[in-house]
Amino acid sequence: MVDNRDINGDEEAVTTKELTLSFGPQHPASHGVLHLVLDLQGEKVLRADPDIGYLHRGTEKLAENLLYPQFVPYTDRLDYMCAMSNNLGYVLAVEKLLGIEVPERAKYLRVIAAELSRLAGHLVCIGAWGVDLGAMTVLLYAFREREMILDLFEMLCGGRMTLTYMRIGGVRWDATDLFKEKCAELCRVMPGRIDEYERLLTGNRIWIKRNKNVGVISAEDAIDLGLSGPNLRGSGVSWDLRRDEPYLVYDRLDFEIPVGQVGDCFDRYLVRIEEMRQSVRIIEQCLRDMPDGPFVVDMPEIVPPPKQDVYKNMEALIHHFKYVSHSFKVPKGEVYHAIEAPKGELGYYIVSDGSERPFRLKIRVPSFVNLQSTDHMSRGEYLADVVAVISSLDPVFGECDK
Amino acid sequence: MNEKKVKIVKRDTPGALDLAKKTVFLDFIKGLSITLRYNLSRSITIRYPDEEKWIPYPRFRGAHTLNRDEEGRELCVACELCVKACPTNCITVVPMEDDTGKGIADRVAKVWEVDLARCFFCGYCEDACPTTAVRLGRDYELACFELDKARKTKEELLKPQSVPEDFEGGIIVQAKLQRTKSGIKVKPNLWKKKEKK
Ligand code: SF4
Ligand code: SF4
Repeated sequence: MVDNRDINGDEEAVTTKELTLSFGPQHPASHGVLHLVLDLQGEKVLRADPDIGYLHRGTEKLAENLLYPQFVPYTDRLDYMCAMSNNLGYVLAVEKLLGIEVPERAKYLRVIAAELSRLAGHLVCIGAWGVDLGAMTVLLYAFREREMILDLFEMLCGGRMTLTYMRIGGVRWDATDLFKEKCAELCRVMPGRIDEYERLLTGNRIWIKRNKNVGVISAEDAIDLGLSGPNLRGSGVSWDLRRDEPYLVYDRLDFEIPVGQVGDCFDRYLVRIEEMRQSVRIIEQCLRDMPDGPFVVDMPEIVPPPKQDVYKNMEALIHHFKYVSHSFKVPKGEVYHAIEAPKGELGYYIVSDGSERPFRLKIRVPSFVNLQSTDHMSRGEYLADVVAVISSLDPVFGECDK
Repeated sequence: MNEKKVKIVKRDTPGALDLAKKTVFLDFIKGLSITLRYNLSRSITIRYPDEEKWIPYPRFRGAHTLNRDEEGRELCVACELCVKACPTNCITVVPMEDDTGKGIADRVAKVWEVDLARCFFCGYCEDACPTTAVRLGRDYELACFELDKARKTKEELLKPQSVPEDFEGGIIVQAKLQRTKSGIKVKPNLWKKKEKK
């Protein structure tokens, strides 16, 4: 029998009271500025309530006052871990509205950029996840590879984090031979490095204990809550926009969609690892198949002529001047275009009134929607498991708070 | 649902073999062998800022510079296209007449200022400039104690860059940390290349 007597020897019932705990926004494991309000009964979580908005910058409103090309750098600041995908989603939406098709080379370049970005994003996810659960080493190794990717970006477009590589009508710079060489080298070393992470994590008993059967979500619940990306596929739903609503050249590429079986944190981890391997395959194929040719559309009002022509040719100078000062008019209409970003479905909904600026721009950000499953996943789990759940959802707050 | 191209990720199932492996701590040994191997291999860390520095690739978009032509005349004609192109409105240009041959035309910038605290480093100003006057250079140590210091004026921007425009880049070079009154500087020695990896 439990002894419930206090110091004076009087009988006293032990009661545990509900406790409200604020987790974040400065908690090191809260991935940026997530503030979780947790109702606890002892160590068990009764309710998890994400409180967001600490990084709100009004991106959607800002877009209404900017010319269409001027908004591209702002999209870099959404999911800053993988800026290429954000650029891509936006330019594809505007191009859909304009009804233009970019040249083949630009399509391949965009796919390479987006897949490199997916690798960079997943590396941060896996690395940070490891640190949150006490496996510091893997972060250092993951960042070593991420550094290689950032060097590639620097070579390609001059930015490391905020890339602004895509432009409406193509890409801003062509790939150099050195870039292709280094990219191929990355593809060669990457599978071996992924094996290393797996050797550090996948079989490790602590990693398994902390992730297996933690934060389980069934396929139906995942769909109901609007999960997307690796988090949805971890629950066994085979849904990937790259295959199901192909854009650019994804329908010509050979790759597999990894799906999980149980829907716990461990499945979401395995899906991400496998996705990195598939990304490497995609990049290899793109490097092999990429044709020569122009990397922007031949429409001087949307993509001004190259600088050399501007100096010599009066017409080119006029196009250049007009593009810089007024940009271009976009036909009246509404459009939604979604892509498979590393975190899930990233969609841009643009309403155009026929002027040079969007009338309204709505961004469907995956982190925001994914975050609403925190409560479902952590209910009834231990407090320490909340950390694993958040890491497995991989929210980025530049994107979530917009 | 489309079942094409699906790969179900493999989860290890706990069995007798698994248990045996765990009792001899095979999972830890596997992990530790990786860390130990890296312990013995060469370090990939750049010893920045004391000894080494990364010189970026030519397309790098760092702090702004204003260029001159071969005869030393200012290339900027104060057309204000960069101001129009900038998504954050952080460039200020005030034009003035000048026929003393300071610039390439008889119109030069009286004021040319950029507020680096607001700048995106997107490079749109560089793309917009019809005379290649403004360029985003390869200086990236921009931290400062006062916000005013982030406003770069024309005089500062016209000074030559630490890395010349035609330098290849993408390498690690020897560097020295210097403490001056205005702050800390890392001075690279561009011709002393350091190999890594
Ligand atoms: S780099 Fe971009 S944000 Fe900075 S001054 Fe130039 S146009 Fe403006
Ligand atoms: S820097 Fe170039 S774009 Fe800006 S005012 Fe001078 S000439 Fe015009």
